[in-house]
Amino acid sequence: MGTRPLSDGIFFTCALPSYTMLKEDEIYRSMISWHAVASWTWDAQDETCGICRMAFDGCCPDCKLPGDDCPLIWGSCNHAFHLHCILKWVNSQTSQAHCPMCRREWQFKE
Amino acid sequence: MADATAAVCNLAILEALSGDAVQEISESYVGFCAATESLLSGIGDLSAGSEMARHVHRLCKYQLHSLVWEHFLTSLEENFERNGAVKFWQHFEPYRDISISEVDRSHVCDDQIQEVLCKALEEISLENQYQKKCLLVLVDALQTYKDQVLPAKCGAVTKKEFLLSKYQLMISSVLMASLPRHFPEILRWYFKERLEELSATMAGESTDHFDSQENDEMDVDGNNRMPSESSRMDIDGGLHGDFSENKLIKNIGKVVSDLRGIGFISMAEDAYASAIFLLLKAKVNDLAGDDFRSSVLDSIKEWIQAVPLHFLHALLSFLGDSFSYERSSDIKSPLASRPLSCYPGSDNLSEGLVRWQLRLEYFAYETLQDLRIGKLFEIIVDYPESTPAIEDLKRCLEYTGQHSKLVESFISALRYRLLTAGASTNDILHQYVSTIKALRTIDPAGIFLEAVGEPIREYLRGRKDTIKCIVTMLTDGTGGNPNGTGNASDSLLEELNREEENQENGAVEDNFNTDDKQAWIAAACWEPDPVEADPLKGSRSHRKVDILGMIVGIIGSKDQLVNEYRVMLAEKLLNKSDYDIDSEIRTLELLKIHFGESSMQKCEIMLNDLIDSKRTNSNIKATIGQASQTSTVSEDSGNSLDILDATIISSNFWPPIQEEVFNLPGPVDQLLSDYSRRYTEIKTPRKLQWKKNLGIVKLELQFEDREVHFMVAPVHAAIIMQFQEQKSWNSKKLAAVMGLPIDVLNRKINFWIIKGIIAETMDQEGEGHIYTLLEGSGDSTKNGGDGGSCEELLAVDDEGEGSVASVEDQLRKEMTIYEKFIMGMLTNFGSMALDRIHNTLKMFCVADPTYDKSLQQLQSFLSGLVSEERLDFKDGVYYLKK
Ligand SMILES: [Zn+2]
Ligand SMILES: [Zn+2]
Ligand SMILES: [Zn+2]
Repeated sequence: MGTRPLSDGIFFTCALPSYTMLKEDEIYRSMISWHAVASWTWDAQDETCGICRMAFDGCCPDCKLPGDDCPLIWGSCNHAFHLHCILKWVNSQTSQAHCPMCRREWQFKE
Repeated sequence: MADATAAVCNLAILEALSGDAVQEISESYVGFCAATESLLSGIGDLSAGSEMARHVHRLCKYQLHSLVWEHFLTSLEENFERNGAVKFWQHFEPYRDISISEVDRSHVCDDQIQEVLCKALEEISLENQYQKKCLLVLVDALQTYKDQVLPAKCGAVTKKEFLLSKYQLMISSVLMASLPRHFPEILRWYFKERLEELSATMAGESTDHFDSQENDEMDVDGNNRMPSESSRMDIDGGLHGDFSENKLIKNIGKVVSDLRGIGFISMAEDAYASAIFLLLKAKVNDLAGDDFRSSVLDSIKEWIQAVPLHFLHALLSFLGDSFSYERSSDIKSPLASRPLSCYPGSDNLSEGLVRWQLRLEYFAYETLQDLRIGKLFEIIVDYPESTPAIEDLKRCLEYTGQHSKLVESFISALRYRLLTAGASTNDILHQYVSTIKALRTIDPAGIFLEAVGEPIREYLRGRKDTIKCIVTMLTDGTGGNPNGTGNASDSLLEELNREEENQENGAVEDNFNTDDKQAWIAAACWEPDPVEADPLKGSRSHRKVDILGMIVGIIGSKDQLVNEYRVMLAEKLLNKSDYDIDSEIRTLELLKIHFGESSMQKCEIMLNDLIDSKRTNSNIKATIGQASQTSTVSEDSGNSLDILDATIISSNFWPPIQEEVFNLPGPVDQLLSDYSRRYTEIKTPRKLQWKKNLGIVKLELQFEDREVHFMVAPVHAAIIMQFQEQKSWNSKKLAAVMGLPIDVLNRKINFWIIKGIIAETMDQEGEGHIYTLLEGSGDSTKNGGDGGSCEELLAVDDEGEGSVASVEDQLRKEMTIYEKFIMGMLTNFGSMALDRIHNTLKMFCVADPTYDKSLQQLQSFLSGLVSEERLDFKDGVYYLKK
């Protein structure tokens, strides 16, 4: 196939000999950088914490910053809570703590 | 005529007389009249006096005193009219038609008038003096008769004074009765010219300062009429040489005393007073001018001391005014204790001069004040360079107390010059801030400022971009003050902060008195919303509150301002191609100080997201060398991952983001999913959701003769990449490949058409357009840049769409929930006022979601409904549109 210029006058930088094989490279070369935007989210079934009622993607009432500073934790029952919320809950229970959602015995998921 | 009257009056006496007596009387009377005649006409010759005295004595024998002096005065009057007044006015006849205005003041004419005036005055004074002498001859004759008859002297002095004052009155009424209209003006002109001459002399003279206290002590007791005795004066240190010996002063003094001699006492005073004020006014205008960058008040005051007061002192001394009354030396004017009391001479002179000084200073203050108020708009435009002019104005106003003049004049200047459709919101805001800063000096309690600021605030509230401009002004250093004052890269917040720090350092120079402080504190209660947290607010922040408070006052609530800032911040952060947020962090710190930390919480998280993103991004890049555990296919793309960076946001804390869906080129999509996978590996159980339309792509397009760099939105990058595979596209097909609606594609591709990269033609076969990659650089050069690496930053879309929903859009979205409720209310109640709708919503919408909007927000939502013709607004109440 050989060199395949885009047009007679314009090339993306360093158009390479084989179009079919090096198509991707061509694009990358013409692209100096790509600054993309994403939002992060917790990979959980629910949207809000069953204890504090705040969004998982937000943070618990005691925290100011979401994400790493206020992580989620899953129980063996597969219910998720803000780590800080469930810790408070567990500590407030005199005997064995139960999941606030399903009443099963609370156990941190391995 | 006069003879006849006199005869009638004495008829009764005549009847009682014998024939001899009548004969004697009539002979004497004829003789007296003839003697009078020759006395008055014999210029300088009083020899007819003794002849007249004989006749007078004989007439007096018959108790005909009054006949005698009345006839004599009448003769004097006639003579004065003939030889004095008429001649006197004739001198000025040639100047009748000269309008003595500023316009024609030729020096020739001036010299002439001066000469004529002096000559005329001299002549008339000589005549006057001669007549007075004649009168004294008569007085003497009457007196000698009285002395013969009644040896005891009684009433002699009274008679003399009576006749003299009658004479004075007579001549001045003769002159007044024939006074030409232009004479007072000639006088004023004369004084004006002389004073100007004097002023010029003064300016030429060296301004030697030497202490003359010792000399003064010698002079204090000397009641000397000689001007040289009081030639030295020391007023506030300003001192000039032998001023009153000046020929000019003598000349003027002569004119004034001549004028007084012919009874023009107040006319003379009016003339020189008005000349002084005129000169002073001109001097103030001259000194002040349009230069606002230096203070002129002190030089004006110095000049008052140096010229008019000096002149008055010399003049009054020359005239000997101060010594015409005796005053007990221990009764001193309270003002005499001022430095002025060191004028040599009596208290009267000082007192008179103090009064003059006060008058002149008040006039100067008022003149300067009016001048500055008239130019206040320009002065404020020039602020802070114009600070000296502001300081002057402050002192003037303190003296005159005419602040209301300032308010009225400035408000009308604002309406006329600033609050017009042509002025940009930014300019209005900057002028508003400068106004606050400038007037704060004059009016620390902010009372007049309140009145002046209100029209600006009201006007700004009617502009849509006000909040945006305010936020920009507060937070953006680069778009700062167009006047280029201070540090160019300073935001207003930065400036306010620095100002406060300076004040802290120099806390001693706190010149607020307690009353002002109270007023200040009261004025500082601007905050309409409760402040949840204002940890750094101490009493020291009161002064700062002013400017910021008055700016927030335009919007009404700090929350709206913070909200707008958040949207603008989001826009800015999402368009960054690096993670450099130093200036945003600084701004946020300042905003936290002023608005409280909790208000800025979300913004803080946004900035924190960028910091985290930077860290995460480099962590992800660090995994490139390692084989991905979960990946099976993407080893080859690992090498390309270094061109991809990402900003990862905590979307709950960001303003709503506009999402657009379209297809990215496969390789790019591949990169993104590779990036996500690596992210999840590091951050599990967190995952990424790409906002494909957001971000910045740097492209390099190479033409035959040049390469062009672009910074574009992802959608533009995705479009142009399609042309790499295929140089020409039908718009429909391209839209399908891109996953964009055709109209959106047409709009977006416009970007490349404008840049001259893509050409648009109609499709001959089917519908739609053909887009073709332009060949060669021919006609594309004009837009493509000049062959180098021209970076074109296109942060925001060509259609002006931001990445973030505007505050209005957000509000409309949030308010839609209440729309049904509002419509229901209006159906039930017919019509409701804004307050009532607001309160009802507050009362009933307490959950899911709680109504938490401000009155202003509700109002702007309702006016949206009105413009959509769903509601009607009349007389302050809302109706359903029928
Ligand atoms: Zn929670
Ligand atoms: Zn937490
Ligand atoms: Zn559970």
